[in-house]
Amino acid sequence: MKPTPSTASSRPVAAALIGAIALISSALTLTLETPDQAGAKMWTFARLHHEIYAPAIKQWNASGKPPVSCSVLGIQAIEQRMLSSFLSRTTSAELLEVERRIAARAFAGPPEAIGFLDLTDRLKSEGLLDRINGPSFTPWTSRGRIYGLPHDVHPVMLGYRADIIEAAGIDVSTIETWDDFVRVLEPLLMNADGSRRSDRYLLNLWETHMDALEALVLQAGGGVIAESGLPMLDDPINARVLAQVAAWGHGKDPIAADAPYFNASGNQLLLDGFVLASFVPDWMCNLWRNEIPQLSGKVKLMPLPAWEPGGRRTSVWGGTMLGISREAANPDELWEFAKHLYLSPELSRRLFLEGDIISPVREFWNDPVYDQPDPFFMGQARGRLFVGLADDLPPRHNSPFGAMAVERLRAAASELARVADATPEALAPDLLPHASRLLAEAQADVMRHVRRNRFFNAELPRDGAE
Amino acid sequence: MRRDPGTGRFAPWLLLAPFLAVFLLFTIYPALSSVWLSTRQTFGPGVSVPVGLSNFTSLAHDPSFWTALRNTTVFALGSVFIQLPLSLLLAMLLNRPDIRGRAFFRVVLFSPVLVGVVFVAMLFSVLFEKRTGLVNRVLNGSVGWDLDFPWLDTYVMPALIVASLWQYVGFNMIYFLAALQNVPKELEEASMMDTNAAWKRFRHVTLPAIIPVGTFVVLLSIIGSFQLFELPYILMNGTGGPEDRGLTLVMYLYQTGFQTGDLGFASAIGWIMALVLIGCAVGQRVLSRRAERA
Repeated sequence: MKPTPSTASSRPVAAALIGAIALISSALTLTLETPDQAGAKMWTFARLHHEIYAPAIKQWNASGKPPVSCSVLGIQAIEQRMLSSFLSRTTSAELLEVERRIAARAFAGPPEAIGFLDLTDRLKSEGLLDRINGPSFTPWTSRGRIYGLPHDVHPVMLGYRADIIEAAGIDVSTIETWDDFVRVLEPLLMNADGSRRSDRYLLNLWETHMDALEALVLQAGGGVIAESGLPMLDDPINARVLAQVAAWGHGKDPIAADAPYFNASGNQLLLDGFVLASFVPDWMCNLWRNEIPQLSGKVKLMPLPAWEPGGRRTSVWGGTMLGISREAANPDELWEFAKHLYLSPELSRRLFLEGDIISPVREFWNDPVYDQPDPFFMGQARGRLFVGLADDLPPRHNSPFGAMAVERLRAAASELARVADATPEALAPDLLPHASRLLAEAQADVMRHVRRNRFFNAELPRDGAE
Repeated sequence: MRRDPGTGRFAPWLLLAPFLAVFLLFTIYPALSSVWLSTRQTFGPGVSVPVGLSNFTSLAHDPSFWTALRNTTVFALGSVFIQLPLSLLLAMLLNRPDIRGRAFFRVVLFSPVLVGVVFVAMLFSVLFEKRTGLVNRVLNGSVGWDLDFPWLDTYVMPALIVASLWQYVGFNMIYFLAALQNVPKELEEASMMDTNAAWKRFRHVTLPAIIPVGTFVVLLSIIGSFQLFELPYILMNGTGGPEDRGLTLVMYLYQTGFQTGDLGFASAIGWIMALVLIGCAVGQRVLSRRAERA
């Protein structure tokens, strides 16, 4: 096709325009380039942590020691970049503050390929194993070696709608066990239309609440991963807990319902009083304060009811550590920095005041900051309540198969819920054989993956594992 | 000017060289490398041991793999048998000259494609919530539907099919619309003289004319369905959901390869997936050739 005079004359203009755009965008790209930050890099997934650490990092950098710069990255970004660097044996960031499921991914290979620096000897020689709460180390331990400095304790309590419960003249201090919990609060179950579905339940617990399920089995003395690193899903205690959870949600006279954690729908259901009590680790107080401020002055905390009289009144949910990359050029200086950050009493105080998080350093637990009354929780000394339980935390072992094991625990709970739905008159003892069978299947499934991994299970004790 | 016979012989290769270099480096080499990887167990690229065909035999006995394959197949079937007929129906409706505001409806139906998959997943995670979600609330208000209907607990694949339907029905509609607009007018007019039955005209005139596009869209849909990842990944918070009801093949590949570092096992999953897709493509080709001959 022959160009018309007008198109032919516009060509140089178009070419000049394209050229100009290319030049300007190139110049902009060059000017927008982020300058390399000097010194070691630290990544954290929590903006709040970053804000709390800023003064301590500034102080460290001003002291003339090798500088450290801290950046906030999304959890998944940290996970991918950390794993990529570990697997390729390069350094992404020298210091990595990571959550326990992410840290566990680094433990799947042979010990010599774990990307975190082994801190066991340093912790032992400096007496830190005694200064820091023991159970807080378990998530960062693989094959007997410790790879991280614990950031927190994360005891779990029950947050309850004191405005509703106390208005009904109920005193929760009479509750010691889960049986007591159901018996004492049962009058508050509300069912306006007489249907099977109630309008108010006692407990926010559902078979899909993976973390709450894990917290419950840990509280009862069960768990998903044994100290050996192998799954222990078929533990009879787990079966007992799962049967009870299914009966609470789907059996005769259900008392538990689903108000999903971490979303607006669940928050609204909490506000509506659809569920009266919910599992609350220390960090979740911060979430409630910021995301459901309308709950202020309406809720209180109580220890978890025990599974049997005199039993454990708490559990654990979540966990973060600071690890040092094995490929880091100056591990000794980074170790000093890690201690400067995590063992600082000032930082520990700020962590509680701004993040509601209890420090794992036992000597800080006497700090009066934990005794301050909290108006959100109707004047309760929230910090002291959590600290009072921190000593009794169940150990929570970690493994690269931990996430899969928790997922299988949830799957077994879901399937058990279907069994309970099909037999609506079922009580927990009726569901127990089904729970045991489902958990045995789940155990076999995870063990198949463990056995397949030739790097991880080579050094593990096998006796009594299955 | 005389041409140098040597240059003439090498000229095509010289011109093809940039493409061939890129193709060999980024397609053939990784493909062959993944065959080799599928016979090894790895922890990242640095640590690996040979395991023969045990990755494939493990897959054959792996319930998660079969769950992922079943879920992905259900989603693909949903795409082909629900989404595409609906797209065709919408295309036929909007191809009618007597419909007013056709352009407006085309834009409305196409616009969800412009929304990012991550956003769609987040949107539907809110819509499908129990008790507070719009879907259960509207259905409860209109037909007494259970407010606690567990879309994202028990009916994950139907929820995914609905979300994907919302996003892609308009996209496939555009393909069908283009095909319908290319059906020869004279054929349609001649068929109208033969019969008044719309179904017969569709069966004998329209359908044969749009079959090439139809088979292409079916294949595209199957391939797209087997690549399903972001939607369930976001909707299920990075997991396969309760009892792996939202686990797809690509999610499982991602979990094994990039989260546990076993690139060998992930390669085996990738090859099984590739073989399934090659089978679909060959099947589609055979069927469309038969249809062309008929």
